[in-house]
Formats: sequence, structure tokens, C-alpha cells
Amino acid sequence: MKTLKILLIGQPNVGKSSLVNAIVGSRVTVSNYPGTTVEVAEAWKKIHDTEIRFIDTPGIYSISDKSEEEKVTEKAIFEEKVDGAIVVADATSLERSLYIALQILEAEIPFVLAINFVEDAEKKGIKIDYKKLEDLLYMPVVPINPLTRKGVNNLIEKVINIKNLTNPGFKVIYDDHIEKALEELTPYIENDGKLPVRFIALRILEEDEDFFKYLKDKKIINRAKEILKEHPKVAEDIAITRYGTASFIAGKVTRITSLALTKKKKKFEERFDSIILHKLWGPIITFFSLLLIFALLLYLGNLVQGFFMELTNDLSASLKFLKHSMLSIALSQSLTGLAAGISIAFPYVLLFYLILGLLEDTGLLSRFIVNTERFLRKIGLPAKSFIPLALGLGCTAAATRSTRVLSTKKEQFYTASLFAFVPCSSRIAIIMGIVGFYGGRILALYVFATLAVAGLIWSFVIKKTIHIKHEPLLLELPPYRKPMISNVLAKSWLRMKDFVYIVMPLLAIGGMSYGILNSLKITQYVASSFSIISSWLDLPDATVIPLFFGFLQKDLTGGMLISAMGTTDLSTLLTPLQIYIFGTAATVGIPCINALVMFIKEFGVKNAVGLTAASIIYGFLLSGLLWRAILLVGRF
Amino acid sequence: MKLIRKSKKSKDKDSTDLDLLRTVKEDILEVVGRAGGKILLRIMKPEIAVSQSTVTKAVEKLEEENLVEIIQGKEASEKYIHLTEEGQNRADTIIEKHSVLENYFKEKRRDKREAIEATNILEHYISSEVLDNIKKLASFQKEGTPITEYTSGEGFITDIKLNGKLFERIISMGIYPGEKIRIIRKIPNAVIIEVDNKKFALDRDIACHIKVLKNENA
Repeated sequence: MKTLKILLIGQPNVGKSSLVNAIVGSRVTVSNYPGTTVEVAEAWKKIHDTEIRFIDTPGIYSISDKSEEEKVTEKAIFEEKVDGAIVVADATSLERSLYIALQILEAEIPFVLAINFVEDAEKKGIKIDYKKLEDLLYMPVVPINPLTRKGVNNLIEKVINIKNLTNPGFKVIYDDHIEKALEELTPYIENDGKLPVRFIALRILEEDEDFFKYLKDKKIINRAKEILKEHPKVAEDIAITRYGTASFIAGKVTRITSLALTKKKKKFEERFDSIILHKLWGPIITFFSLLLIFALLLYLGNLVQGFFMELTNDLSASLKFLKHSMLSIALSQSLTGLAAGISIAFPYVLLFYLILGLLEDTGLLSRFIVNTERFLRKIGLPAKSFIPLALGLGCTAAATRSTRVLSTKKEQFYTASLFAFVPCSSRIAIIMGIVGFYGGRILALYVFATLAVAGLIWSFVIKKTIHIKHEPLLLELPPYRKPMISNVLAKSWLRMKDFVYIVMPLLAIGGMSYGILNSLKITQYVASSFSIISSWLDLPDATVIPLFFGFLQKDLTGGMLISAMGTTDLSTLLTPLQIYIFGTAATVGIPCINALVMFIKEFGVKNAVGLTAASIIYGFLLSGLLWRAILLVGRF
Repeated sequence: MKLIRKSKKSKDKDSTDLDLLRTVKEDILEVVGRAGGKILLRIMKPEIAVSQSTVTKAVEKLEEENLVEIIQGKEASEKYIHLTEEGQNRADTIIEKHSVLENYFKEKRRDKREAIEATNILEHYISSEVLDNIKKLASFQKEGTPITEYTSGEGFITDIKLNGKLFERIISMGIYPGEKIRIIRKIPNAVIIEVDNKKFALDRDIACHIKVLKNENA
């Protein structure tokens, strides 16, 4: 059995992931929003006696080290010892796709150029001479259509034979002064044989810091920096030449036969965009669409939740035969924790990811992002932070990793800190299930509003205290497309993975630790010793248990409150104001230990613990102050 | 992974030959063209900044293609390289292309050395369409208007004044000097543009550094 490791590379929206879907069946994600796949997805396919491992990389416009997508792709290219690549190109703008192809050639990775959207291009009157393109690049070229599977088998065949490609392919020749600088650098480069020296030298001239490690010592690094100083615009010149070359090749192989554009579709798009990107209507439509989606989510989530609740109830009932012992408590409590997690979080999170996937694939999401950026920039966040913040409405822990789309650690941490005010499904369940159920829907709405205001205060304070450089908006607006259901499903599943494999086990552990602490009567002890909190919030002492131990398992907060108060009719023991204050105190802040674990993974122990503590204290402080403010206002 | 370097299979694909040889051939035609169509081989050779053997090979190629002739002078070492009629035509286009680009970059870049360097890079690679656009730009002798202030809808990008990484990002997205651009709408945080059938939302901070000129012929 032979094995092949094949990279998939291409710009955002070029159809890389649909192609993998077409090859191996629905197993990877597809994005119609530039930059949602920050991680590398993998898929396997066995053909004859060859097993091909496909590595799907995030969409990028060029190989460089500017954004996280590019870093991830760069890493996949250089650290996975690949046998070759499929470069997916867009027939409607070939030169742009060739830019990356030329870089892959510089890295001496053999590839098959798969040209997608051929039909779209033909409708626009663009015809590509594939044979000529092959002759120019010295690499195989295959037109494909992942939706109809046209060309896919041909592509696979070419991929299987990729090791037979012996010609290193076309090389971009740079201007004399660049070639001279490359030559000058060459002897100093420590070559480990993985990458061509010329490629490393180019990356150094393009000021990719990661590649300075190939230079033998400090002295030589300084020399390289001198060379860079001698040629001040060298990085720009390299980019221009590469694009010029791509444009030249594209010009050679493309023929514009007619200018019969698909006018009808274009007209529809223009009209649609003129509303959705209107300076006034755009944000209004975006806001109400998001609100509508949120309401729909609550409604659907509730329906699905009922179904899951019954299922898990049956399951825990079947465990009743276990007699009271530490083991049984541990077992049944971890199951309760898991069940609560599954019944509350799972349906919301899944539905949420499905809706988000649909938004992406239709092309609406990037329009929404342009509109929300107007607000986001006011609180010092770049457009890209929209995705992690939106995902935060599903599960904070699972969303934490998505902050990686942002370019700097500072931006990532700042965005993550806002998860304290973006209620995840479990916190929404507290707001709806406790505040809404016992205090009325209006009261629940107040809690949501309080979260929003608390988040705004937080972000304005942070924006004033730490300086965040404004990252300019630069986003491609993909054409509107009909979403492919299989893609949406595949993508939702990929996003669910973090939730299922990391968050769910933690839910069981959280539930178990609460059960053990509770059976040892430690929870009561804690409740009485922290009565300062309950008196600050003007809540009964027992409420400290859910407020505190809710951190172990947010989904159990409701259950904890009921068992701590000893009644299911909370409205007899708590005033509406107390219910509101409880709801606020329980939902502001980094919600749970699962989120904390993910935060530690992303930002280190110190930052994660610091942020979690600060946000929870802020939540308690704010709730207490609110209570006093409301009393004060009530007096007048 | 290393690829075995075999000799390029391009030997008889002159029309599509894109490698070093093509560049050198064009440079030779340019040098001979500027010298009035005839020049001593040994004077021409040092003008081309590549190895002697490459130049010799390029001259052989040009001879094969009937673009130049080698004429033996009185002495054995006195060899002239002479443009044929077709070679002369080719040289004229190359020289014109060069001067168009050079003028363009002299306009755009203050530093003369930089202008010449940019010209030397681009002349071999640029497509005829982009070149036409640049020619138009150069003939207008105008600076262009930043996208943020541009009101006529369609036009050509004349200049992108951004630094290193942002510049590369813009270029790699296909937003490039000489390209046709359509400004679709301006919203408070961005300008929506279309370049090469692709739509982009550009921050106003980026858009104000990209200059556009109206294409009067369109």
C-alpha cells in the first residue's frame, strides 16, 4: 500500500473544501466567508493501492506570515512532509490564483492545478487554454466542478502520479538587484533539505521573521537585515513581479470570447447589495436579522431541548439501581452533568452552527460582517472578531479557539474577554429557564440588556487602557450562492468537534466534582463562609451554592438553585428583583471551568485565571451596584 | 522532498518559453534596438547582466527564430549582431513598452533609480492589457484621485501607496495598478469596489491610499 500526503491550497472561497467533499464525501468544512477555517482539516481516500491523505488548509491569498490563516497554511506546507499539492484556482480570476501557485513552485512542491468555476468563467466569456497553461507551468492542469464531480476522477489520477513529475516547474525570475540579493544570501542559509534555498532566501527578503532561523548566526542575521536595508522596497518588488508574472501567464492562456456577462444575476446581486450594504439600511437589516436568528434559535433550541431532556431522564432513571455510595454519587452526578450539558448546550450549539454555516455559504455573512464592523471598530475590534463573538453565543469554551482568526495575541485576548458578556447557550438557559420562567420574559430581557451594557462598559474601559492598533477592514465579498446542504452539515460537525470531544467530558467531570463536594457537605460550608457575597447581592445565603459551583457546570445552575432553596417554586422565596440580580450575577463573567481550561490552552495560566477572576468579580460587583441603584431609583 | 532537476522540456516551445532565456532574449533585442539595429557582439554582451553562456544561447535562439543575424566583420573577433525586419519590429515594441513603464514609474516614484528598477522588473511580465492601461495613465500625466474622493464610478488604479505587508496583501488579492476598478458604493466604514469581477470591502484607511483615474475612452 502506497501512501500520499497531499496539501490543498487556494484562496478563500475557491472551492477547496467542496473539492475534498467531492473526493472523499462530506468530511471537511467549506467556507463562503474568508477566514473561517483556521485549522487544518484532514480527509482520507483509498484509490486502488494508494491511500491519499488530504490536508485542507485555510484559504489564503499568498504564502506569508501576516494572519493566522497564513501561518497555519505556511506551517502545513513546511512542516508536514507532503508529497505534493492540489492548488485550487478560480477560472474567473486566474491571475490571482496563479499568485499562490507561483509561490508553491518556488517551494518546489509539485502540484496539480485544479481549476474551479469553469462554467462561471465561460458564462462571462472567459476561456482558458489548459494545455498551454500546463506547458507554461510544467505542472498538470485539470478543470473541475466539485458539484457535478466533473474532472474529479481525472484530478485524482493526476494526483496519484504526482511523484512522477520530475520537472521542478516554472520559476519567477526577479529583477537583477533581487536576484543579486538572493545570491548573496544563499551561502549563509542553513539548509535542512526540506526547503529549497532560493525559497528560504526569498522569504527572508520578504521579511518573514520565521525564516530568519535558517540563517547560521546573529552576525549573518544582521547582514541579512543590512541587505534588506540596502534594498528598501525589495518585498514590494517581489510581490509586484510575482503578480506581474501571474498576470502575464493568465493573459497568455485566457481568451475573452464575448462579454456576455450573466447580466441577470449581476443585476440581482447589485440590487440586493444596494440594500444590504446601504449605509443606513445595512446595519438595521443586519441587526434585525441577527436578532431574528437569535429568537429563532431560542425557539428551536427549546423544542429540541425537550426531546433531549426526556432522553437523558430515561437514561439516569436506569441508573437508580446503584445504592448510595461514593461511586454511585460520582457516577450518577457525572451523568447528570453530562445530561444537562447534552440537553441544554448541545441542541443550541448545533442549531447555531447550522445557521451560521448557512449564512456563510449564502454569502450573507461577509455582508453582515462589513456592517457590524462599523460598531466593532468603535470598541477597538477588527471585523474578523465577529465570528468568534458570534460563536460565543453557542459555547464559550468551544468558541475560544476561534479567536485565532485574529492577527495579534492582544486582539485575541481582548475578544475572548468579551465572552464574559456574550451569553453562551448554558447562560441563555439560566436567563430563560430561571429568570424568564420565575420572573417573566421582560425580566429576562433586562438581563440580556444588562449583559450588553456591562460588555460595552468593559470594552470602552479596555479600549481606553490598552492601545489596540486599528486593523483596517479588507474583506472579499463573495457572490451570493445557493448553499450546499452537505457542506453546511459537514462544517457544523467540524465546529461541533471541540464541543463534543473537549467540552462534554469536562461537563461530566464538573458534574461529578459538584456531586462529591455536595455529598461531603462542602458546598454548604462554602455557602455560609461566603455570605458576604449573598449579602452584597441581597440574596439568600443558599444562592451562593449555584453562583459558586455553577462554575463547575453552568448547566446545573438551575438545578443547584432549586435544590439549595429546597423548592421548585422560587417565586415564593425570591422577589423579581432578586431573581434579576441572581440572573445577572450568574451570567456575567467567564462562565465555567471548561471555558477556563480552553483559555489556559490559548492564553496561558496567568492570563486565563486573571481574566476569569476579574470578570466574575466585575459581575458580582456590578450586580450589587445595580441592586443599590434600582433601590435608589425606586425610592423616588 | 527534492525534485530531480532534469533539463527543461521547453526547448522547442519558444512562443511560451517564459524562463530566463526569454528575458535575456528580450533584453538583447532591446539593447540592439537602442543601438540602431546593429552592434558589435562583444559590446552588447556586457550590457546583459547574466552569464556569457546564457547570452550566447539566447543569441543562438534569436538566430533560429530569424530575429537577428550574426554578421562577420573584417577581423575574426569582429562579429556584429544585426536585427532582421521582424527583429526590428519586436525590438520597437519592447523599447516602447520599456519607455511607457519607465515614464509611468518616474511619475509615480520619486526616486529615479527605483523607477528604473521597477521598470526592469515589470517589462518582461506585464500583460498587454495592463500595459495599455498604464500607457493611458502615463499619457494623462495626472496623479489620479483617491478612491475615497473618486466619484465617477469606473476607472483605472494608478497608484497604491501602502507599505510592505498590506501592499502585498492588496496585490495578491488582485487589486493592482493598471487594473480596471468600479467603485460600487461608499459606506461610513468602507468603500465597496469591484476589481476583475470580484467585490471587496476596503477600509477607508486603505481606500484613501489607492488612486484612481477615469478612463476617457470607456
